[in-house]
Amino acid sequence: MAEELKETNNPRRRRSGGRSVRQEIRKSKSEVSAPYIKRNVPVYNILDEEGLELIEKNADTILEEIGIEFRGDEEALQLWKEAGAELSGERVRFPKNLCRSIIRKSAPREYTQHARNPQKNVVIGGNNTVLVPGYGSPFIRNLDEGRRYGTLKDFQNFVKLTYLSSSLHHSGGTLCEPVDLPVNKRHFDMVYSHIKYSDKPFMGSVTAPERAQDTVDMAKVVFGDDFVENHCVITSLINANSPMVFDSMMLGAAKVYARHNQACIISPFILSGAMSPVTVAGTSAQILAEVLAGVAFTQLIRPGAPVIFGTFASSISMKTGAPTFGSPEPALVTLVTAELARRLGIPYRSGGGLCSSKISDAQAAYESANTLQTAMLAGVNFMLHTAGWLEGGLAMGYEKFILDADQAGMIQKFLAGIDLSENGQAMEALREVGPGQHFLGCSHTQANFESAFYMSKVSDNNSYEQWKEEGSQDATQRANKIWKKMLEEYEMPAFDPAKDEALKEFIEKRKASFPDSNI
Amino acid sequence: MAEEFEEEYEDEIDLASLSDEELVLQMHDDLYDGLREEIVEATNILLSRKWSATRVLDEALVEGMRIVGIDFRDGILFVPEVLLSANAMKGGMEILRPLLAETGAPPIGKMVIGTVKGDIHDIGKNLVSMMMEGAGFEVIDIGINNSVEDYVAALEEHKPDILGMSALLTTTMPYMKVVIDALKEKEMRDNYIVLVGGAPLNEEFSQAIGADAYCRDAAVSVETAKSYMQNQMGAASRI
Ligand code: B1M
Repeated sequence: MAEELKETNNPRRRRSGGRSVRQEIRKSKSEVSAPYIKRNVPVYNILDEEGLELIEKNADTILEEIGIEFRGDEEALQLWKEAGAELSGERVRFPKNLCRSIIRKSAPREYTQHARNPQKNVVIGGNNTVLVPGYGSPFIRNLDEGRRYGTLKDFQNFVKLTYLSSSLHHSGGTLCEPVDLPVNKRHFDMVYSHIKYSDKPFMGSVTAPERAQDTVDMAKVVFGDDFVENHCVITSLINANSPMVFDSMMLGAAKVYARHNQACIISPFILSGAMSPVTVAGTSAQILAEVLAGVAFTQLIRPGAPVIFGTFASSISMKTGAPTFGSPEPALVTLVTAELARRLGIPYRSGGGLCSSKISDAQAAYESANTLQTAMLAGVNFMLHTAGWLEGGLAMGYEKFILDADQAGMIQKFLAGIDLSENGQAMEALREVGPGQHFLGCSHTQANFESAFYMSKVSDNNSYEQWKEEGSQDATQRANKIWKKMLEEYEMPAFDPAKDEALKEFIEKRKASFPDSNI
Repeated sequence: MAEEFEEEYEDEIDLASLSDEELVLQMHDDLYDGLREEIVEATNILLSRKWSATRVLDEALVEGMRIVGIDFRDGILFVPEVLLSANAMKGGMEILRPLLAETGAPPIGKMVIGTVKGDIHDIGKNLVSMMMEGAGFEVIDIGINNSVEDYVAALEEHKPDILGMSALLTTTMPYMKVVIDALKEKEMRDNYIVLVGGAPLNEEFSQAIGADAYCRDAAVSVETAKSYMQNQMGAASRI
């Protein structure tokens, strides 16, 4: 073997600068980053034409017969009336095809969300996939401190970790709740942190219309008034209050964003069994009906405003009522609704590394892997909750984040598909090596080895002895070291000081204009 | 399989023809099966046989629901089944409650519960209501998105023993303190046991806002409510 290796020809055949140069190259090469995934693998279509038509027909029936409630929003009701819907109180019933035709007329098939660094712009929809970190957790968890309420510091840490993770293309939104800040002002610090500590695109505040407006105004400071009105720079999460209700809080935020041409993800966030029927077909029809109504609503506010078909599919434990994740039925819902979104012709959001485990253990790993893989096959365009999610969304885990981001890297590689070029076919290598030899030294391997296989940053595949010598660490312990090192080495992306000043001034003024409040 | 099992059992039972002992056992089964009409009928039969309301409550209903509770805890019964059981219990309780009040027997308790302002999460609150009703409590569920005024109005109207508040958002849980502070201001706070719940809360938070207890789930809510009611009774009898 040793002899064979010696005989191997070195395709470089020249000096390359030795250790110091190679070290530099390897360091910089380790973070090959594309701004988003251009899918090169077919999606998994689970239902045939007949099945899809059946579900679409049922959704139409829901819209026509049962209707959807738009609660606490006079303007919404008025708009629906003008559009030709039938109103009784807050219940809106939609004549056949009303929603669909409104959507088809103006909702874009895909859109670009601009980042403050144009190289990080993402295209949402079509054959593209954008991976986005976890959202909404009141608690954080790490190996050192266990579980506690999130703070602004944690929020910023997750912005930084996301910025540093090449497999995450978007800075996300409520990475964790900064519970240390007053409720009515924390959105300023959250949006500012996204803008300042990262240059990836981000999500806006939705917990009150004025907070959505502040988000838009802050974006205008960074991108300019006109630019914001004509380009999408914010994508935000508007949950339906399933079954068949939109509440005033979410409608208020949706109106602000749509009006300013910013994107809304209209998301039925379903705990099946409690918030929808217990079957896949029933749940899918309900989701489609809610999405049709919500998406069409954004188009009534502003035709052409970017909007996403959202779906968050989970079920409850029929024994306790607790949400469950990584189980087969929600996976089927994800696949079906993805198909429905493609037929409707707008981008689709779902998936993520979802689990109900409290810590990053085996349960967390398999549940998250299940949801990530399903979403990947389904053809999700915007994958919220890709990294960090624990405990049904109640906790954002530092180590879990690292483990998930690693999985996200694998998804990125998988979706690149199969290289059928001459190099991909590797006939040269087969000829060169021939029967009974090995491929380590051949020219083809020498030219391709660095990027040939996805190299996990967390997995340990060394010998038992080496693993033991290195402290017998499990994946969580290894991930703990990784996030700490990342934060230590983090360097802030350049940001125009004039814009930074202007932003800070805006925030200061706004904060001073009303008293702190926790309600 | 299930059908096979069920077929073995007689569906049509003439409850009036059963002895007291048989009837009570049948009520345990009927509570388990969530048969509201049968529970109502059996409750009336026992009363007509001169059972005291307290005895019907303790031996038939509470005991039956205790068994349901055990099997729910042990994962034998499912939420939709317990919902039916609780509903059957509620049917029996509606008959017994006025009678119990007449005899001056210690009430099981009455609770007003609602999700706080700005918050529409209600799945957990609904489960809590269900379990509380299953344990014999009278529950007035005032729904979601409740302001201080809504809570105060409901407290004044229904005069419950317990105020339950639910919040699932860190942005709305501080509102629980607003409600409690308002009650203090109106000198109403001490009239109620205040129980709070919702996934983003914890014990510390509940103490900080001046609630009596944090309930991590529906079963704990029932236990906590029961023990506070008992203490209250104890305290009342000492006066
Ligand atoms: C005596 O009084 C008592 C006693 C005990 C009590 C009690 C009262 N109340 C509860 N208990 C206790 O007993 C119950 C039974 O065991 C338990 O109740 P639970 O409610 O905990 O448990 C239930 C049985 C099952 N659990 C649930 O029902 C909640 C599950 C999660 C996933 C959840 C759901 C389902 C929903 N959501 Co919401 N949602 C999440 C939740 C994450 C989570 N894992 O908890 C959470 C709470 N949501 C969140 C968010 C962000 C939001 N949600 C929103 C909307 C929704 C839906 C409408 C989609 C839906 C609610 C549907 C409904 N009818 O309730 C939005 C707000 C809407 C509004 N105006 O309130 C929105 C703001 C979405 C957005 N776009 O950003 C996050 C909280 C963020 C924060 N700031 O703290 C969140 C942690 C998920 C996440 N990671 O994003 C105990 O807590």
